[in-house]
Amino acid sequence: MKKLIQFKNIVKEFDGKLVLKGVNLDIYENEFVTLLGPSGCGKTTLLRILGGFLTQNEGQVLFDGEEISKVPPYKREINTVFQKYALFPHMNVYNNIAFGLKIKKEPKDIIEQKVKRMLKLVNLEDFADKNVTEMSGGQQQRVAIARALVNEPSVLLLDEPLGALDLKLRQEMQRELKKIQQEVGITFIFVTHDQEEALTMSDKIVVMKDGEIQQIGSPTDIYNEPVNEFVANFIGESNIIEGVMLEDYKVMFEGRKFECVDFGFDKNEVVDVVIRPEDLDIVPRADGKLKGVVKSVLFKGVHYETMVETKIGTAITVKMQVSDDRPVYNQSANEKMSANDFYLDVDDVDELDDATIIARADAQAWNPDEDEFISIKEVQYNIEKKNGTYPVTFSTGAGTSVTVNMIVKDENRVTSKENEEEIFAVNFFKKVDEIQESIALETDLKTWANASAWSLEDDESVEITDVEYDFDPENITAGVYDVTFATKGYLYKVDTTDKYEEGDEVGLTFQPEDIHIMSKQP
Amino acid sequence: MRQFRSMIYPYVLWIAIMIVVPMLLILLYAFTKGANDVATFRFTLEHFGRFFSDAVFLDVLKRSLVIAIWTTIVCVFLGYPIAYAIATGSEKSKIFWILMITLPTWINMLVRTYAWVGILQDDGLLNKFLGLFGIGPFHMMYTTFAVVLGMVYNFIPFMILQIHTSLAKMDKSFLEAASDLGANRVQSFLRITLPLSLPGVLSGITLVFLPAVSSFFIPKLLGGGQYVLIGNVIETQFLTSGDWNFGSAISLIMAIIIMLSMYLTRKVDTDPAANGRGE
Repeated sequence: MKKLIQFKNIVKEFDGKLVLKGVNLDIYENEFVTLLGPSGCGKTTLLRILGGFLTQNEGQVLFDGEEISKVPPYKREINTVFQKYALFPHMNVYNNIAFGLKIKKEPKDIIEQKVKRMLKLVNLEDFADKNVTEMSGGQQQRVAIARALVNEPSVLLLDEPLGALDLKLRQEMQRELKKIQQEVGITFIFVTHDQEEALTMSDKIVVMKDGEIQQIGSPTDIYNEPVNEFVANFIGESNIIEGVMLEDYKVMFEGRKFECVDFGFDKNEVVDVVIRPEDLDIVPRADGKLKGVVKSVLFKGVHYETMVETKIGTAITVKMQVSDDRPVYNQSANEKMSANDFYLDVDDVDELDDATIIARADAQAWNPDEDEFISIKEVQYNIEKKNGTYPVTFSTGAGTSVTVNMIVKDENRVTSKENEEEIFAVNFFKKVDEIQESIALETDLKTWANASAWSLEDDESVEITDVEYDFDPENITAGVYDVTFATKGYLYKVDTTDKYEEGDEVGLTFQPEDIHIMSKQP
Repeated sequence: MRQFRSMIYPYVLWIAIMIVVPMLLILLYAFTKGANDVATFRFTLEHFGRFFSDAVFLDVLKRSLVIAIWTTIVCVFLGYPIAYAIATGSEKSKIFWILMITLPTWINMLVRTYAWVGILQDDGLLNKFLGLFGIGPFHMMYTTFAVVLGMVYNFIPFMILQIHTSLAKMDKSFLEAASDLGANRVQSFLRITLPLSLPGVLSGITLVFLPAVSSFFIPKLLGGGQYVLIGNVIETQFLTSGDWNFGSAISLIMAIIIMLSMYLTRKVDTDPAANGRGE
């Protein structure tokens, strides 16, 4: 096969915004190529540059080895099926299709022959005299294809032509387009954001994102060996787990070593591991390479989408003691002041300073009329490095003061050996109005409880994803409340034909070739 | 929506009083003899006979039609390029030019037409200007040229706006498609832009031809006393001669001519042959 179209380092910008960032792409004869990507990725721009409706800022477009950037659209051997078809409303089906031939001044009988053949190809033989505005979306679509193909172009460009059709019609047209392409034997360049469309029709898929090509390959290549997380997620739903490539053909994730078919990574390189939902099988727990619990089951028509959690995450529950104390009011200085008791870890005592104490006690002084904060001048306390309760007194320059307790306790942490994770949080005291006025309560709760989690393996912090509490923040009253902080477990999406029940304890298994490794480096 | 339907009755009544009744009166006058009283109507066709048997009136009718047709033709050929230039220009220039075209219509038509008298008369602005170059003077007032000029000036905004609207709402992707299919700019214009803007041209023609054929003060001001058009005849019958019956009859004849021309333009607009295979 020979190269028909070559994009060389195409750069395009609109109003200073880079839409294409140096695209290089070769397209061969008789290929069905799909440009796939989310909206705004530059796929339509690239197509319009090829069609001649836009000019690139940099780079070259070669057609059959010749630079065509200066060639106007009407002189290019390329025809386009436009997004909304752009059929001429003042002409009937026959005249729409014959338009290009009439422009070329072909003899009348030849035109008639060619148009008839096209009408047959797109299954619209009886519609020649029909007005295009009276046709359905699917029929208009066919007219648009016929109108382009009748000119016998060497390349047909299709700009999201199936977008306006309903699902059933779309699938029908997908099959038909593929059939037409094989029949006329020319290059089709198809733009879409629908990965299913791309997978069913293409010989070659070009995945684009933010004006750059992410991956070029056959549908199976792209599906089975996506080069990065974006492609993997865009081309279909996937399980992506962080892992370490120990050596060639050996990867570790979820704390276990697995065989795989990938190689060529650095030793101990951190990678993303991709396992497709349909490549995972649910087996009895004892036979599973991974063990987990069924979290949810969703019927998808042909299969069940079963979510299995293998790692349950780590959680810690602390007590939040809510008081409805009013702030202290110093009438002579017109100052109000408030502070909370707070808990401390023994290890924290050494690092204690005034600023930390003010922050942890949330000590504040303000002028109630002007609502302006007044600085706290003095923090008086006496503390020892052992368990106990130690008073601390905050005072302002005007003599307003509040005394609260610092409670030193043993550290409050939960360690999960299985997950190799540790989570830490302390009990805390709050006032009713502080909770009511919180704008981002979950974040505030994390701050107040000093909550954090980390991996025991590499000491790196782990995100606390869940904050659970059972009070209504708007109408909270004084009392003691439980607040639970938790990290997330690994959830696997598994496509199964059997139905499992939520809470079933199951095993997961997969073949070495079902593990796809992606480098984390861009 | 149903409960709102009764709200249109006041308007129906208004239309009946302001439009239908006067029309019926014209019809009544046209077919009756003068000096009617409430009780007796004497029907007659003599007003129509008088109009069609008098060469002077037929001449006037012919002249009116010729002037209106010329005005319409000039408006189409002058208005289309202007409308096209505006429609293909930038968004900012579009607003500016539309304003420039509609601006004169804010001023009373009579005043604007008087201004032309000052420009066109023998020692007017135009002749003085041409005189600087040693050209002229030309006699322009009270000629067909002056009357057509006055009409074109007054009515061309309707033509431009109609054509512009139909050009502006045309989907630009049609032109891209035509270009994609091998048509150069001229071919695209002739095969796509022009046919798709024809409805605008037709409604522009209607909006120019109708006032042009019945206008009476433009010929009166720019054509002078000797340049009589059908509108002037009707005016004279009503205001000077006091022969309302004859005036009504001529009005009716005009109305029929106008209705016929509207019917014809409507027919061209929706003619299925325009969509046909033959070209």
